[in-house]
Amino acid sequence: MQKAKFPAIAATFVLCFLFWILLDFSFKIEELIAGAVVSLLVALFSARFLVHEKAGWFFNPVHLFSAVFFWCGTFLVELVKANVDMAKRCFGGCKNINPGIVKVPVDLKSDYGQAALANSITLTPGTITMETTEEDGQNYFYIHWIDVTAPSGKEAGDAIKGTLEKGLRRVWE
Amino acid sequence: MSDLLIFAIAFAVLAALTMIRLAKGPTAADRMVAGDAADTLICVALVLFSLFSGRGIYLDIALVAALFGVIDTMLVGRYLEKEGGKEK
Amino acid sequence: MIVRIIADVLIAIGAIFALAGTIGILKMPDTFSRMQASTCIPTLGMLGAMLGALLIAIFVKADAGAAVKIAVIGLMILVTNPLGSHAIAKGAYKAGVRPEKKMETDDLGRDLYD
Repeated sequence: MQKAKFPAIAATFVLCFLFWILLDFSFKIEELIAGAVVSLLVALFSARFLVHEKAGWFFNPVHLFSAVFFWCGTFLVELVKANVDMAKRCFGGCKNINPGIVKVPVDLKSDYGQAALANSITLTPGTITMETTEEDGQNYFYIHWIDVTAPSGKEAGDAIKGTLEKGLRRVWE
Repeated sequence: MSDLLIFAIAFAVLAALTMIRLAKGPTAADRMVAGDAADTLICVALVLFSLFSGRGIYLDIALVAALFGVIDTMLVGRYLEKEGGKEK
Repeated sequence: MIVRIIADVLIAIGAIFALAGTIGILKMPDTFSRMQASTCIPTLGMLGAMLGALLIAIFVKADAGAAVKIAVIGLMILVTNPLGSHAIAKGAYKAGVRPEKKMETDDLGRDLYD
């Protein structure tokens, strides 16, 4: 288990303190000091479980703005499209489904980028990421897909996550 | 303001409908999926009812339900991964 | 008044998608398809209702604390739901749950398990 670095502790402290303010929602000086002490303790003990690489990423305004643009723009459009598609299948009697598990290559390199892509895929109705593997330098996702229209490989990958991956690459790399 | 109450009751009724799958579901994963959906629906119903009645305490309950709803799901998922092959 | 109408429309959209997800949970034929259908509830069903509630809390009630809390509840459900859904799907597959009808392609079973 590695030692927690100072930027990791600082990032965890800021998140904990914002959450304290949210739950408390009063701005008296005593309560703010109590919150700072409690969140410093929590950050000292738990920073090494939360942050592993590049803790300052969250506070860079360029990254933050592009992340917000991705999740409020590109991802929201994909989400609404997939939701309408799934609602049509549900109201149509749940008959025209064609499920299967496909294996899809992923080009993102960093851990956070892969986690964000996997969670975005899972959040879209119709696709669930089930397992990730690595085979000679190339990362693969196993994805359960409700309507299989292409066999495993690059074609299925473009159909499932083409626009999502393009947007996420602008955020993380 | 009574439209908020009607919507809150509608969400609660949907949560009660998912209980059918929770009682019937053939495997443990089915029951857990229904429980997760019911948790989210109850959260939304609590928020709407808090706006209807004007009492902030329901918002805190909804916040705690949203925070801890994922933990039980992940616990059952981990349990199934390790032990689930033995019993059906 | 116009804000109330917009908020009501948003909450109604959310209720419609939540109904779709509930019907999917009750009627889909196998476990993984039920999981897929249930994803409709925490995404657009929850998001529509929370946006409507946020509009009401800001413009009708003028209550900053309630508005921030509603936004955080929505964000929290949106961020944490895929974790649970992923854990359940992987656990169910490892526990030996398979659909009755043969799946179109099953690369996970071919490569890792069985």
